[in-house]
Amino acid sequence: MTVRDSLIPQLRRGVLEFCILALLRETERYGFEIVRRLTETDSLVTTEGTLYPLLSRLRREGLVDTTWRESPSGPPRRYYHLTASGHEALKAFIAEWERFRASVDTVLGTT
Amino acid sequence: MTTDPIVRDYLNDLRRAARRLDKARARELQAEIEAHLQEAIPEDASEAQVRNELERLGTPEEIVEAERPAPPPAAAGIHEWAAIFLLLFGGFIFLIGWFAGLILLWSSRCWRTSEKWLGTMLIPGGLAAVLPLIAIVGSAQTCVRRNGITVRCTPVSGPLPVWVGWLFLILVVAGPIATTIFLARRARTPTALR
Repeated sequence: MTVRDSLIPQLRRGVLEFCILALLRETERYGFEIVRRLTETDSLVTTEGTLYPLLSRLRREGLVDTTWRESPSGPPRRYYHLTASGHEALKAFIAEWERFRASVDTVLGTT
Repeated sequence: MTTDPIVRDYLNDLRRAARRLDKARARELQAEIEAHLQEAIPEDASEAQVRNELERLGTPEEIVEAERPAPPPAAAGIHEWAAIFLLLFGGFIFLIGWFAGLILLWSSRCWRTSEKWLGTMLIPGGLAAVLPLIAIVGSAQTCVRRNGITVRCTPVSGPLPVWVGWLFLILVVAGPIATTIFLARRARTPTALR
């Protein structure tokens, strides 16, 4: 197995939930919107459908909460927003990520 | 959109794959994917467009697999220790204790199915299985009694030689003890980590 085969999906999986939290930092969004925002960024998401299980896990863990709202077209949509502990988790991750990225960049010489 | 035969097939596959999930969550996931497709595929979409959207979504198997990457590792608790104790000694409590141990064994999430079978088969009744064997081995001798007091016993050749009886006896004692030690060690490592 090459590095790309094994490591990148693992990295992606670990980071993805925080990307979702970050998308909800300023505003609430509905499922499809979150999914499309994430797939717009290159190489973050390979299979869109697997994001729904992830959203459901974030909800169970209390990092996000949801509200149903009428949609201008079609059936009501479930909107996701950050909870207090979601904000907390995101803040902690960002601090951790900046340190991590800086260290890796230094060693790899990619700064 | 959901009337499109390709989409309908996809949703049927998803429903089938989602059967192993918790019922409420399976329904919810189905609704989420349906809502997603509703948004992603316009009414007048071409077949190529539909296929592209489904491909982006991933296979139903992949989606359902993502639902349960990490089941909470089951740690051995009082449930498991009671099971082990009852499997070993429960037979002495009118055998009912052993059956209670069996129920605890099979309802625990700490052991795999193969380990549960081992605990069941080695040896039914636990240490209490020794009692009938002692009777058999013990009876394979004739005793001379005088005034109701046993004076002298000599082994007789029954249907089986006496050493076979003793071999069984050792097996029946060692079997449950070895199985118990094995189950106890297994229970201390969550199944998810093995």
